[in-house]
Amino acid sequence: MVDTQRFAKNLPEQPEGALQPGSILQGRYRITGVIGVGGMGSVYQARDLRFPNVTRYVAVKEMLNLTTDQSVREMTLRTFERESDMLASLSHPAVPEIYDYFPSKDRAYLVMEYINGRDLEKIINSLTDFLPVETVLDWATQLCDVLGYLHLQEPEPVIFRDVKPSNIMIDQHDRLRLVDFGIAKIFQQGQKGTMIGTEGYSAPEQYRGEASPASDVYGVGATVHHLLTRRDPRLEPPFTFAERPIRESNPAVSGEFEAIIMKALVFEADERYVNAAEMQKALNTLSKPVFAGGNRVTASESADEMAAWGEIQEVRALWTFQCEDEVRSSPAVHQGVLYIGAYDNNLYAINISDGSFKWKYPAEEGISSSPTVVEDDNLVLFGSMDHLLYAVDSRVGQLSWTVATDGAVQSSPTVEHRHVFFGSDDGNLYAVRLATGRIQWRWEGGVPIRSRPLVTGDFIVVGLESGDVVGIDLSGQTVWRFKAKRAVSSSPVEHDGLVFFGSMDWHIYALDIMRGWKVWTFRTNKPVISSPVFGEGKIFVGSVDGNLYAIEASSGKERWRYQAEGQITSSPAYADGAVYFGGIDGKVYAVEAKNGRLRWSFETKGPVPSSPAVQDGVVYIGSMDHCIYALKA
Amino acid sequence: MNLLRRVLGLTRQSDMTTSDEEVVSITYGDEAVLASPPEPIIEAPTGLDDVPDEEHTADSADVDNKLETVELIPDFAGTRPLPPLEAVVPKPGQRITFGQLSDVGMVRGNNQDAMFSMLASGSSSDDLPDFGLFIVADGMGGHHDGEKASAITARIVTGYVSSEILTPLLNHEMDDPDRPTITDVLRAAVQQANTAVTERIPEGGTTITMAAILGDLVYIAHVGDSRAYMITDEGIEQITRDHSLVQRLIELDQLTPEEAAEHPQRNVLYRAIGQNESLDVDAITRRLPRHARLLLCSDGLWNLVSEDTILSVVTSCADAQEACNKLVGMANDRGGTDNITIILVQMPG
Repeated sequence: MVDTQRFAKNLPEQPEGALQPGSILQGRYRITGVIGVGGMGSVYQARDLRFPNVTRYVAVKEMLNLTTDQSVREMTLRTFERESDMLASLSHPAVPEIYDYFPSKDRAYLVMEYINGRDLEKIINSLTDFLPVETVLDWATQLCDVLGYLHLQEPEPVIFRDVKPSNIMIDQHDRLRLVDFGIAKIFQQGQKGTMIGTEGYSAPEQYRGEASPASDVYGVGATVHHLLTRRDPRLEPPFTFAERPIRESNPAVSGEFEAIIMKALVFEADERYVNAAEMQKALNTLSKPVFAGGNRVTASESADEMAAWGEIQEVRALWTFQCEDEVRSSPAVHQGVLYIGAYDNNLYAINISDGSFKWKYPAEEGISSSPTVVEDDNLVLFGSMDHLLYAVDSRVGQLSWTVATDGAVQSSPTVEHRHVFFGSDDGNLYAVRLATGRIQWRWEGGVPIRSRPLVTGDFIVVGLESGDVVGIDLSGQTVWRFKAKRAVSSSPVEHDGLVFFGSMDWHIYALDIMRGWKVWTFRTNKPVISSPVFGEGKIFVGSVDGNLYAIEASSGKERWRYQAEGQITSSPAYADGAVYFGGIDGKVYAVEAKNGRLRWSFETKGPVPSSPAVQDGVVYIGSMDHCIYALKA
Repeated sequence: MNLLRRVLGLTRQSDMTTSDEEVVSITYGDEAVLASPPEPIIEAPTGLDDVPDEEHTADSADVDNKLETVELIPDFAGTRPLPPLEAVVPKPGQRITFGQLSDVGMVRGNNQDAMFSMLASGSSSDDLPDFGLFIVADGMGGHHDGEKASAITARIVTGYVSSEILTPLLNHEMDDPDRPTITDVLRAAVQQANTAVTERIPEGGTTITMAAILGDLVYIAHVGDSRAYMITDEGIEQITRDHSLVQRLIELDQLTPEEAAEHPQRNVLYRAIGQNESLDVDAITRRLPRHARLLLCSDGLWNLVSEDTILSVVTSCADAQEACNKLVGMANDRGGTDNITIILVQMPG
């Protein structure tokens, strides 16, 4: 472990006027060494000369009072005295005994029990492997026991304020002891010059100068997190324990134990255990004997426990509409009407107010392509496995025109610049005039094109089943070509000069949209069929590995992930601070875009590869149980 | 250049495009070319007026031109006539410009900041994007360790980016699918500087904020509390995130920015080059709109000069160097408590 404070050149080293070994205080305590140096003075080891025939060591804590301001001096001294009195009145096996207190010139001394043992920081630094979980649980329980004792003091709770491994010792009898009672607090005089390294264990509110028993609870959580994961919080961004789940580093830890520690580490003080005694009660439920295999906790149970911190809403379907076969296509909603294709060959138009049938248009084969509505022309466009792209009057369901291709049309159409762009399994990308249905040009890709083309002001980007992603200009000329390792069925989206898509090669890619150069990649653990959506600076995309990922668009860094119970091939929708998507586990999910916390989930009777449409606070989505659902967002 | 390439039917990767011949394409006024694909089935549209296509082009004439104008150049098999000559002389405001200044300030005895700028810009049928590399590093540590750490960092990062981005750019290798991403190259560059500082200057450390510009995208890698700002018509935006304790507390709503400015631990960083063997480097990519400015600076500027002031100075100076001089002067007028380093890059437009 590196010393995280090593740039702190301006911190006091051995303060001036420090006691030298051999000096004697009060004719009684002979200094034998220095135990530690703090911002306000040193702690010495000394021998008590009143017991000449045995070697009895004591710890002498010194507080320098160097300020020249008389009133500040007196106030500091009174504070030290008050804390000494308080300590002397405590009685707990883990609190060192206080023997003596005396002021002397510009300083004051507190004499207390010398503890022979090692502090937790030294223990952690000497580890080559994880500590046994039972040992850590035992220490955590002992730590909560002594802090709980302090927190229940009358009339005011005693707050330790500086719970961290170096202030906790394990003595020679394997008992946990608290040392360095908080007189020297985290708010010492402001350091000059830039320093690297933070305390790592202090609760956020303590940096505002506020401390409560819940702040000590945070310190317990931080200390135990460090013990269990062996990851030093001083080397991590402050307050990021939630981003380092304990069981990810150390699978031997049970889900219940992890949940208790994570609750102690919540940012908001009032969401933690109110004091260490409450935390100890929670820990005690873990240490009860369990039957073999009885303490196994599945991931989803602990996920439920995490989710229990936030309210999960109940959600009911506003209406359902039953088709004659599976629904894999995604709905388009326009002016009070929902359009969606089904494997029963029909494109349905449904009134969104009540789910009543408006019209249907039968293709020759199933429809997996998602429809697109063209407002100006009252057209709804969709492809079918029967090789045709259909343009149907959106008001009455009457055919306007079709375009015949030589393969199934699974790609969803994009309308821009008075043209419709779509791919076909015949290997071509088509640009078709909206007004007439005449083919303007075909771009030959050679392999099926199933992704929905992205069309920007002067560019088309489309993915191919070969894994190629191509940038094409509006006259149909290839400008760049990028090669992923496997098929790209995911539809590209653009934001701020970058284009994003997923591939069957398990990755999510971000490219320079003008040149096709790789800006970043993000690896999931299974193929990515789902298409990304942009919101709040993030890209949301599902993977067959079962996770919905939120990735920062500008950096490619994961912000959070939500684990569903099965594959996610549905493309998420983003609206009003939430991300909506379907799972092969049959559920429709709504999670917070900010942190991935579950808002609600809704169970259908079949897998949900369809992607939701969200409008005016309602989520519309199809399921392979043949139904289309309207759910309150 | 895109026009040129389109007109000539050229692509940057002509060996990969199997279909140039078929794609030649556009059809306006000559529908017969389309005889090969099956004629679309056109049903009589009931709800649609049978409007001639031309009328639809009115609202998006520019775009439709792109879709349809290429046939204006007669397309001969084999040779194609050259298009009208394009001017290759850059006009004022067509190229990236920049200014830079590093100053010791009014209090410190030495300047521990380092800065580096490099700009490659040209014009040829290769259509290479402009390339720029800009680095600000703020060293820390006594006994000259801070300035050594920032100097080594600027040097190593520049060397790495030159060999891993500039050289591949010149060799037309940027689209090789097996190349690391541009973001990963920048992270690796900073990582290499970190290894060097950790080994050679064990008592020193440094921040880094670096920007690599390729065309209209800027790739930023960042550690510590130097900053990058983007200045556009919409205002000024800090696009890096300080790796400081107080910044985390602000993000968690535990401190206000005003409280942070006075906080006793406001100088505490949780991440810097030279701190640890492994380093988490922030790497972000943003598009720089036309006429945008990118400002990199050490905390010697932003601790003393507010964002609003930076914005008004930058937008009121026509010349980037003049803006840098003015901002350094302002920081010194306000005490110059730390070294001040500024690089200001101005995009064409």
